[in-house]
Amino acid sequence: MEIIIMTLLRWSRPLFRGSGIDHDQVMAIVLVKLKMDKRRVYMNWRAGQQKKESNQLLRALFFYALMGLFMGSLIFAVDNYLTVMVFLHGYFLFMMSMTLITDFSAVLLDTTDNQVILPRPVSSRTLFVARLLHIMLYLLQFAVAISAGSWIFTFIRHGLVAGLVLMVTSLLTVLLAVFLTWFLYLSILRFASEQRLKDIITYFQIGMTVLFTLGFQVFPRMINMVDLQGSVSFGGWTYALPPVWMALANEAFASHIFDVLHLTMIGLALVVPLVGFWVLNRFLAPVFARKLSALQGSSGPDMPGADVDRPRQASASISSRLSPIFCTAGTERGSFETGWRITGRDKGFRMQFYPGLAYILVFFFIFVLRGKGDVMENWRGLPGTRNFLWLIYLPMMTISSGFTLASFNEHFNAAWIYHSSPLERPGELISGLAKTIIVKFFLPVWLILSAVNLWIWGIGVWDDVLFGFAANLFCYFCFVSISEHYLPFSRQPNVRQQSGRFAKTILQLLLVSALVGLHYLLVDHGVWLLTAVPVLALGTHLLIRRIRGLHWAAIKI
Amino acid sequence: MSVISVKGLRKHYGENEVLKGIDLDIEPGVIIGYIGPNGAGKSTTIKILTGIISDFEGEATVLGMDIRRLPVEVKRRIGYIPENAALYEVLTPMEYLGFVGRLHGLANEVIEKKSLDLLALFGLADKADQRMNAYSKGMRQKVLLISGLLHNPDIIFLDEPLSGLDANAVILVKEILAQLKKAGKTIFYSSHIMDVVEKLSDRIVLIHQGSVIADGSFETLKEQAHSGSLENIFTRLTGSGEQEGTAGAFIDILNG
Repeated sequence: MEIIIMTLLRWSRPLFRGSGIDHDQVMAIVLVKLKMDKRRVYMNWRAGQQKKESNQLLRALFFYALMGLFMGSLIFAVDNYLTVMVFLHGYFLFMMSMTLITDFSAVLLDTTDNQVILPRPVSSRTLFVARLLHIMLYLLQFAVAISAGSWIFTFIRHGLVAGLVLMVTSLLTVLLAVFLTWFLYLSILRFASEQRLKDIITYFQIGMTVLFTLGFQVFPRMINMVDLQGSVSFGGWTYALPPVWMALANEAFASHIFDVLHLTMIGLALVVPLVGFWVLNRFLAPVFARKLSALQGSSGPDMPGADVDRPRQASASISSRLSPIFCTAGTERGSFETGWRITGRDKGFRMQFYPGLAYILVFFFIFVLRGKGDVMENWRGLPGTRNFLWLIYLPMMTISSGFTLASFNEHFNAAWIYHSSPLERPGELISGLAKTIIVKFFLPVWLILSAVNLWIWGIGVWDDVLFGFAANLFCYFCFVSISEHYLPFSRQPNVRQQSGRFAKTILQLLLVSALVGLHYLLVDHGVWLLTAVPVLALGTHLLIRRIRGLHWAAIKI
Repeated sequence: MSVISVKGLRKHYGENEVLKGIDLDIEPGVIIGYIGPNGAGKSTTIKILTGIISDFEGEATVLGMDIRRLPVEVKRRIGYIPENAALYEVLTPMEYLGFVGRLHGLANEVIEKKSLDLLALFGLADKADQRMNAYSKGMRQKVLLISGLLHNPDIIFLDEPLSGLDANAVILVKEILAQLKKAGKTIFYSSHIMDVVEKLSDRIVLIHQGSVIADGSFETLKEQAHSGSLENIFTRLTGSGEQEGTAGAFIDILNG
């Protein structure tokens, strides 16, 4: 890869002669940027599972290529050429925009460039050319990864011409994606601060992670479930959609139809991306750069745009109103409120925890709707099954991972504050955090799922829901109680592999399965379930007391 | 002939006027201590003189060249060491210095040799091929210092160069600056650390709210302000003599 780029760059030397652009500098900048691309952490797969030293870019590209193969296989699965093409181009456009938003934003919004390169003797034209070259090379890698699968399958099934046309239209789609993304950034920057933009990007990144997860888990199953043999019908407004232009352009060459409609579409497919890219380079990019440097210049401590939370005098925050209900001592309350705030603001936590919530949805698909036959049939058959047990016990595993995640933080050093405070029972910190996770994440999710339960299976399952609630809480605090005790937000991320963790996960699984098994046996004996509730509640209460009373000796550092 | 010449330098961010007409003339081969409270405009001045900020009012000439017309030529012959250790953290120092060297058009072998030797002098030889995201602030500052001096510039701009450095490194940097001056280089040094400025500088320029309020050798300033140390002069001239009262109020609140 690198060698190809190096030679290409070396060959391009004559092009720069006499243009006032320093070829050596362009090469130095492009190569250093490509090197940094490889070392950046990509959002393609669950963050945190990644090894530090491996080539992150290759890994990301590999996943994109794999997804691309899945999608490309549609070319064989679906007979209607036009439908497949619309679908694939929509996919290219979507994936490329998402990649640009999630991963390339780090490049676009990075102002280290200004501080590192601006003081050096590099003319602005040289820098511009270097940046443009880098962006083009970067995009090309992703474009190829995303669409290579489809190209190969098209060459095989529809021949040389169709394959070549697809290559052209997919690259045009990439250009369009670049234009759209930049446009999105500019419109956000127009109305929001840089901080806000970064927040929005974080949510896109979370969405992207969820999408990949869903994609790998659900998509292969969906192909069998949904009938994709139907064809897309075109109405007036669909002609405004870029994937439709691209698809019709493909069809024109594959089936040799060159009527007015197809020629117009070919025209649009060619002209819009190219003009868009030209406008981007000519007008939008400079505006973007100016906006960004203006943000930088004004981001002093007392400037608007810094993270400002609601004024203190305004009504008390949710966490401080909830904490007296769920917590007793001052320390526990403090830990509850702080935990509430940090889990809501810390990017690392959000990035790792929220996608986990999406797993609930994935498991819902897999477990609740599994079975032969089509989805609707399964859906109608649900009330006759005992699948509501899944819905009762699904959220716990995911949410209890939130408790473990919350012991990690980028600013783990700040935990010195606990050690320098005159705390007698640090267990209160742990119980406070444990309660935050329950109240903030478990309760809402569980309420929603219970509503779904009652809606599908009827009011008759209320005793199961109640038992499930008590059992879940009992399980959760058991888990907190048996896991190694770390103070909230006190551990350094990326040093996760500890021995003994596996054994504890197994223990947790056993406990959950025991309770689920008990529940399964007692499903038809509502009285027994209801008698068990106070027992579990008492157990939970004792567990919380034990956690709260933990001494320093029990705390791991 | 002056090596840096500034006339009526003004700069504003929106409504906020950061520099309100600065005039400076600096002869070659001196160390200038450029001091002032936070937000006085120190960094902005340096960014204008190094060609990083190009939209400003007034005239600025560096090494006889108009900074607005010939920024690249000026940048070739100056070195800049910024305060907030911004560099490409995912690179190793050798890769980073190699990159910077190439931007200055130095030959690869020269860069490599110089970088390794300089890193070794700063005690970083064993970490030369380690990525900098694991570096401490002081270690990064050392790499920044090297990256600013690698091309042997005629004028060196330093913005808080000692922040994060340990005591030995501070002494080393001070000695390096003194010897650079002996070799005829001009050093434009901005800092908060008064006693370093006091000992090192041939001339001290004190700015406050975007204007120069004192300019001269340490002795001249001492006479002007009738006080013994630069710290005292600083608090007197920047009109923030209420520290004693503030401290008193602070204690009162604690006791309250």
